[in-house]
Amino acid sequence: MIDFEEELKKYEPAIEVEQAEEDIRARDLTDLTDLLYNMTSQQQSGNTK
Amino acid sequence: MQCFMCGTEVGNDKVCYNCGADILLYKQIIYTSYVFYNQGLEKAKVHDLSGAIESLKNSLQYYKYNTNARNLLGLCYYHTGEVVRALNEWVLSKNLQEENNPDADRYLAEIESDPGLLTKTNSTIKKYNQAIEYCKAGSRDLATLQLKKVISQNPNLVKAHQLLALLYIQDGKYADARKVLVAANKIDNNNTTTIKYIHEVKARLKEQNTGKRKKKNDVISFADGNETIIMSENSFRSMLDNSRASFLNILLGLVVGLLICFFLIVPTVRDNITDENTKTVLALNEELKEAKSSNKALEDDKASMQSELDAYDNKQDVATSYDNLLAASNYYNEGDTASAAEYIQLVTRDVLGSEGKKFYDNLYTLIAPSIVESYYTDGNKFYLDENYDSAITNFQKVVDIDETYNKGAAMFLLGDCYRLTGDTENALKYFEKVVEQFPNNQWGKQAANYIAADDTSLEASEVGE
Repeated sequence: MIDFEEELKKYEPAIEVEQAEEDIRARDLTDLTDLLYNMTSQQQSGNTK
Repeated sequence: MQCFMCGTEVGNDKVCYNCGADILLYKQIIYTSYVFYNQGLEKAKVHDLSGAIESLKNSLQYYKYNTNARNLLGLCYYHTGEVVRALNEWVLSKNLQEENNPDADRYLAEIESDPGLLTKTNSTIKKYNQAIEYCKAGSRDLATLQLKKVISQNPNLVKAHQLLALLYIQDGKYADARKVLVAANKIDNNNTTTIKYIHEVKARLKEQNTGKRKKKNDVISFADGNETIIMSENSFRSMLDNSRASFLNILLGLVVGLLICFFLIVPTVRDNITDENTKTVLALNEELKEAKSSNKALEDDKASMQSELDAYDNKQDVATSYDNLLAASNYYNEGDTASAAEYIQLVTRDVLGSEGKKFYDNLYTLIAPSIVESYYTDGNKFYLDENYDSAITNFQKVVDIDETYNKGAAMFLLGDCYRLTGDTENALKYFEKVVEQFPNNQWGKQAANYIAADDTSLEASEVGE
């Protein structure tokens, strides 16, 4: 049995054309390779100390 | 391959010898990203667009520089009607890999080449967002209308289909909901939300069809073109009954019409055809009579014309006969008896006047011996050449003029020609005349011999002249 109100909550407004640029800027593009890079950097700096 | 930390060339090493970075882990991340990309590609190929989007998003979370995955993600968004998202992905793809990115270039160029597309898309998105607002505000009718417009403008927007189906389900319009969901499923055939709604609709429809008996005043709704008609079951049944009665009336009318056609119209048509045939026969008879009378008139005309032609010929013959008679007279006077004989035979005695006839008879008497002699000579010549038919013609003319010519020789030879041509009757007739008129000369004796012996087998040469 579908709960209409609950289902309705899942529908979010779509991005309008004017908001496209803002959306791109707000996008978090961090990927796993970035995380690995950060982790390795931290590891290397810790080893240096 | 270069180290992702220090850029040193590491080849197939698992660890960078320069900075100690974990190259193997880095490679595994990149590899996983491509595995997700391949999954996304496979799903996109079978129109599982939502599944493809999920896989491609995963791929990009592992490795954001996977340009193929980003471009394909944009394409999947575009196909599900989310044009702005698609545009964002392609713009990002172009920013992350500016060079050697032909797919992103092409997609962006296509969108740029259609300036009206973005305006239209924006209008659709605004209507869709407004529909969501209407739904949240409880104005489901307005939301439904708005979503119908959105779908007509952007038929691929799966979210709009799903939201409209949700509204239909909420309003109990399960058949409509199913129709919208089927359309959504054609675009994205493994969308979890769509499948969930379809199951819900099926379950509700099953309940309606096989569940408890509906109350008598249950409401029935059906689509009539773009309108949805809602009426009580009683009204619906009574409408069906009326329809049945109308159908029976129409059927009865058809049967009566057919009977009238068979019993009234068909005999009339048949009589008309018979009358027409009779008229045709009579007309043909009239035509035949007319043709016969016309033929008779033509024959009469022909006869009269023939008689006119004969009269004309006679007139011609009169002049010619007089000319020939004059010529014969002239030749005779000049002493050319042969030419005179020739010309006098061309004269037609009957067309001459009484004086002409007298003149002709006198001249003919004078010329006749020459004529007879000429025929007799020719007859003998044909006889010796065994041309008995021509010989008979010449001897017959001699005998007609003078039966006693050359002491019966002409008559005997005529009979002999008949004998030689097998005409025994005529042969005997002339032999008997010869015997009767010249019983003592050679022709008479020879003829008597033939008659006595009935010997018709003698050769002509044996008879001689």
